[in-house]
Amino acid sequence: MDNILSVLIFFPAIAGLLGFVVDKKSARAYGITVAAIEFLLSLWLWFSFDTGNAGMQFVEMIPLIPDFGVNYYLGVDGISLFIILMTTLMTLIGMVSMSIEKDVKNMIITLLFLEMTMVGVFVALDAIVFYLFWELSLVPMLYIVGAWGGPLRVYAAIKFFLYTFMGSLVMLVGMLFVAYVYHSLTGVWSFAITDWYALVLPVNYQLWLFAAFFLGFAIKVPMFPFHTWLPYAHGQAPTIGSVILAAVLLKMGTYGFVRFSLPMFPDASVMMITPIAVLSIIMIIYTAMVAYAQKDMKQVIAYSSVSHMGIIMIGIFAMNSEGIGGSVFQMLSHGIVSGALFMLVGIIYDRRHTKLMSEFGGLAAVMPKYAVIFGIMLMASVGLPLTIGFVGEFLVLLGFYEISPVMTILAGTSIILGAVYMLSVFKKSFFGPVTKEENKNLKDLTAKETWSLVPLVAIVIWLGVYPKPVLDPINKSVNAMLVFMEEKAITAEAKDIIKVPQSATTVGEVK
Amino acid sequence: MEGLVYIALFAPFASSLFAALFGMSERKIFVGVVASVLLAISFVASAMLAFYVYGTGHAVHVTMMDWINAGDLRIPFGFVVDQVSVTMMTVVTLVSTIVHIYSIGYMDHDKSFNRFFSYLSAFVFSMMVLVMSDNFAGLFIGWEGVGVCSWLLVGFWYHKPDVSREENPSISPSWAANEAFIMNRIADLGMLIGLFILYWNVGSLQYDEVFAAVPFLDGTVLNAAALALFIGAMGKSAQFPLHTWLTDAMEGPTPVSALIHAATMVTAGVFLVIRANPLFSLTPEVSYFIAALGTFVAFFAASMALVNRDLKRIIAFSTLSQLGYMFAAAGLGAYWIALFHLAAHAFFKALLFLGAGNVMHAMHDELDIFKMGGLKKVMKWTYLYMGIASLALAGIPFFAGFFSKDAIIETAWNEGTIVLWAILVVTAGMTAFYSFRQVFLTFEGDERYKQYGIHPHEMYRYVLIAMSPLAVLAVVAGFGMEGFEHFVTKLLPDYHMSEHTHHIAWILGLVVLVFAVGGIALAYKKYYHGLKRDEKLENSWYYKLLANQYYIPVLYEEFISKPYAMISDAMWNKVDMKIVDATVDGIAKFLYKTGDETRKMQTGNLSNYLNWMAVGAVLFLVVAAISAAAIG
Repeated sequence: MDNILSVLIFFPAIAGLLGFVVDKKSARAYGITVAAIEFLLSLWLWFSFDTGNAGMQFVEMIPLIPDFGVNYYLGVDGISLFIILMTTLMTLIGMVSMSIEKDVKNMIITLLFLEMTMVGVFVALDAIVFYLFWELSLVPMLYIVGAWGGPLRVYAAIKFFLYTFMGSLVMLVGMLFVAYVYHSLTGVWSFAITDWYALVLPVNYQLWLFAAFFLGFAIKVPMFPFHTWLPYAHGQAPTIGSVILAAVLLKMGTYGFVRFSLPMFPDASVMMITPIAVLSIIMIIYTAMVAYAQKDMKQVIAYSSVSHMGIIMIGIFAMNSEGIGGSVFQMLSHGIVSGALFMLVGIIYDRRHTKLMSEFGGLAAVMPKYAVIFGIMLMASVGLPLTIGFVGEFLVLLGFYEISPVMTILAGTSIILGAVYMLSVFKKSFFGPVTKEENKNLKDLTAKETWSLVPLVAIVIWLGVYPKPVLDPINKSVNAMLVFMEEKAITAEAKDIIKVPQSATTVGEVK
Repeated sequence: MEGLVYIALFAPFASSLFAALFGMSERKIFVGVVASVLLAISFVASAMLAFYVYGTGHAVHVTMMDWINAGDLRIPFGFVVDQVSVTMMTVVTLVSTIVHIYSIGYMDHDKSFNRFFSYLSAFVFSMMVLVMSDNFAGLFIGWEGVGVCSWLLVGFWYHKPDVSREENPSISPSWAANEAFIMNRIADLGMLIGLFILYWNVGSLQYDEVFAAVPFLDGTVLNAAALALFIGAMGKSAQFPLHTWLTDAMEGPTPVSALIHAATMVTAGVFLVIRANPLFSLTPEVSYFIAALGTFVAFFAASMALVNRDLKRIIAFSTLSQLGYMFAAAGLGAYWIALFHLAAHAFFKALLFLGAGNVMHAMHDELDIFKMGGLKKVMKWTYLYMGIASLALAGIPFFAGFFSKDAIIETAWNEGTIVLWAILVVTAGMTAFYSFRQVFLTFEGDERYKQYGIHPHEMYRYVLIAMSPLAVLAVVAGFGMEGFEHFVTKLLPDYHMSEHTHHIAWILGLVVLVFAVGGIALAYKKYYHGLKRDEKLENSWYYKLLANQYYIPVLYEEFISKPYAMISDAMWNKVDMKIVDATVDGIAKFLYKTGDETRKMQTGNLSNYLNWMAVGAVLFLVVAAISAAAIG
């Protein structure tokens, strides 16, 4: 299958279109089947992925607007491969666990379209194609929040849409400007990211462009102080919306930093380490505190997402293989763990129609299986070794220590503050006596719920104990990126700070 | 030999998984039996490895597989069985096996019996990973693993509600569990920083590579690394100011206290310092700080034990105090003596706790020693065990504690740190006093429990038999001191007393003995014949200060927990909602309003439009003129 990437993008979309003719009662089964096939296809992508190759693979290129160098240009490397896998997996699991009764068919079709846009973002190598999928992904999410959400759903949906849309428009201007510069330097138009990588830009250009891209990505991540759309979106979105939002949509922002900002503007990135690290540290500490103050269980997880995204951000700007590789790994880890946590909150919400922790207490005795899985995800979330959460967080902090010990200590408070708010959630909800009459006869996990959570538990432990199959390809592509960032950097400062691992340079010499 | 390493390591893991299979079903005795047998297998494998290492002098080193590879970082799952780790392995598995068997009896009425064994074995597995790993990251796996198991086990009776601090100083099991986990996490950050420092200066986290490289590192780097690692050690070993969790952890079932909060997990910090001795030997300032803090904690904890009425908390304070002794020895460079005290202490302290468990079992979970008394009539064996353990703890010749603790006190003299020596000697007297205050108040004198309608009974026979190896070791372990020194100093730096100290060793020993016997005599005088309450003393400010643990838990609550909650709340309600989000909405509203207002220009009236056109034209002209001037 040479055009596996196109298949991955358009299979869910075409299946979604066909979904309109599927009978309402079988819509759910149909959706799960499509998502399962899509997941298997992405697994096939992984198995045929050449882990020894750090560059782009499965490349496809079809000219779209040849005069302006806009091409339908796709490819994956070690960095995007696993994010794609996570996307297809979380879509599948989200669908399996979905408890929505209203308009199931519309929801399934929306999710399939959303899947197309998400996969599209992570495989696009042409800026225009990337931008198209990036913006298109807003529409299904707007619809999910706006149509299936809570009482404030319209406000939340519009806020989410306009806020992120505004950021991306600035990014679009940045993209057009890069293309313009490319044209004025080389005489040809190109929107191919790989062409842009070769472009050596003067530092002041880099700074302006960095800022333009930053706005688009930072709102998506969301970085402090652009994060306030997120709690509303999570607060109003149905469980499935929150799962996809936390697991995949936020990763688009951090992925953008790795795919665009670092390799295209290495000098500006190095200059921006301190401001970004400061914002990230505020994000980590401040939102961890806000999370602790929440009374609603879902809001705790929502704010904790912001806090964890801070760890990812700081790792990206560590400018070494440990930090960036750790960040990419942490994206996967956060996707799995926060997705699972949102699903878990959804499960209790389905039973009690409330998410307030004061309504619970003593659930461990009533719902032991639920408590065990919640406990495992909690431990992964606070970064316990041998769970998926540790590997990324450890590497990020280790990597950033080379940049600044003091800031690493501040960012490292995440392991303390994370434990504070998560354990407090667990104590309030699961420990103590069962005080509320309604909680005394709650049903433990049903088979459907169990089977959508168990695979995630398995992944959490598998990648915590043996992260190598994932970490190695990531590491390889990150090393390659660092090598050319270092070569390309103009300023001495950037050359000094961007650190190519010794293992990567020696391999280069042997070749 | 490799096979034995894996058996020793994974038998507890198998046990945990096996028990977990029945975790949600009702109590099944065979789960406890199977778990105990698997633990015994692990002990036998450890003992065989100990013989092997003893006989050949070689360490066994195995690498199972890669764990994390990123950049230049290579972390394998590697395990090393050398003199130090094999000592720890043997002690840990021996005490664990006994505690497992003990728990079959102790937990026999608990409906979560199976779950208990799953957690307990998981703890042993984590502890084995901690002591056997051949690198700092592997140690950290075990380090966090024991933390989680401790969280699970302290909070084992999670259904109990929170109560006020006056009613129960630990508030509730789940509260105590969270406190323990969070406080350990604070220290773990220090530990992680230590790892980062070592990695960026050495390029590896493997013990052998790090220790080979430390002599070539800069002094400040070494100091920073040693201090950061020691901060990690302070959390697990509950050193001041991170000590409050340990006494609160007594909310867990008593076998847990015996295993985790006395014999094994809390010694992890001491183990770390011993393991990283090549680093700490090069940082005399940090080492001296460790010794000084250890000595302070020894005294500080003993002082709180003097007045406490809670059977388990007294023993917990004594654990804290003895950990202080171990750190004092390690900080002064006598690593092998610290390790020896660690092992000896594990035996008699586990025995003491299990004895306390017997008393609790008999007294229907009553812990107040003021409500006991005269229990010797019904609990002869427990009295004997606790008596032996207390004699060992007090350092009476020729029990185990006599050899190990005396050696530490002698080291303090030998190093010329007379102040530390004096404090440690006084603490030895206090130790003897509070130990026997507890023993006498529990077992001798009038039978106060009768007022409370309790009918105590002795523990099951098989439990008492299971405890006997600990009792034997508490008596005889000291005689193995020379052999132990010979064994472990193949790896650890040897430590000898100077000629001068050697000459006056008997005088030094006598001084300690006088204090110890004096402490026991005082306890005998005051408490042997029953409890005579001294209202005046109990109402004095210093008594209250000690009884309230110097008010430290209250201070932490008032100055850390509550402000943190308050600030968090303000961050959410004031900053996040009122400033950050309000600004965003403000901008959006402004744009919306502007649009709404300018919409009114569209009146449909031609003359209005012409007016606006004129305004626009003038504006354009002005802009054009200004830019022309700017460019020109």
